[in-house]
Amino acid sequence: MAGDPQPPGEDARIRGEDASQLVSRAQSGDRVAFGILVERYAAQARRVAWAVLGDPDDADDAAQDAFLAALTKLDRYDPQRPFGPWLMRIVANAATDRRRRRTVRRTEQLDPGLTAGGPRPDADAERSALGERLRAGLAQLTPRRRLAVVLFDVEGYTHREIGEILGIPEGSVRSEVFHARRRLRELLADWKEER
Amino acid sequence: MSDHHTAFDARPDAELGAALRAALEPGDAAAFTARVLGQLAGVRTPAWEVLAGWAGRGITAAAVAALVIGLLTGRAPSPAASWDDVVAPTLETDGSLRSTALLAAEQPPEPGALFASLVE
Repeated sequence: MAGDPQPPGEDARIRGEDASQLVSRAQSGDRVAFGILVERYAAQARRVAWAVLGDPDDADDAAQDAFLAALTKLDRYDPQRPFGPWLMRIVANAATDRRRRRTVRRTEQLDPGLTAGGPRPDADAERSALGERLRAGLAQLTPRRRLAVVLFDVEGYTHREIGEILGIPEGSVRSEVFHARRRLRELLADWKEER
Repeated sequence: MSDHHTAFDARPDAELGAALRAALEPGDAAAFTARVLGQLAGVRTPAWEVLAGWAGRGITAAAVAALVIGLLTGRAPSPAASWDDVVAPTLETDGSLRSTALLAAEQPPEPGALFASLVE
């Protein structure tokens, strides 16, 4: 990581700070503080990017692009507003841009076995099979719908915050979450019946 | 997914959320973080962008200032060689076409007369 090394005590103290304090430090050029923000939001950013792209490797590339973009745009961030939605908007945009550029849409080509039942997996692989089923279910949704349901049910953002992230009205977010949930629940109900 | 939840529910569905989280759980967190942090060294920070912006504006301002100074210097009257001094000797040879008359005239000079004055 770039930047001056911090004394161990100072590093621990900075790690205890909330996002707004870390952002304030990062805006002053403190790369250690920005690094802590990266650690704190990495998993969320990767999940959100994965929801858009449907591929974990592409998602990691997009999440990395987003963090680097966030660092260069940090002077435009309004510290009065929550950092998470601001960062997730950058992540969503980075993932969407990457998705547009991608010539081969591997994840859009769904395995019919995943959506139409397919061979019953081993009991040991049930958890993995559920994950596959959900990822396939997500891939059937529009990118905006995927993002809306993941940001709401997985990441815990409010409808208003998701509206800001996606640049759509709050009512549209509610609609997107509703349709996404309905489709995913249908899929999961089928999966439960097969058990 | 949860029995007590409907698709309209304004609260996050914990069961669906947990299942989706597990489905989208990324791999090696430490490796990813190290990879991103490794890239940070090559990123120009906002402070650098500000300095670059100032530098750009400074270069522009210097160019404009140089242009203005150049124009002012170039247009300043020179006692050694005025426009009239440069033109007059040639046009005064036949006494009929003076530079002041040429510049003040509403109609262009007769080409034949002008040419004759130049070759004489």
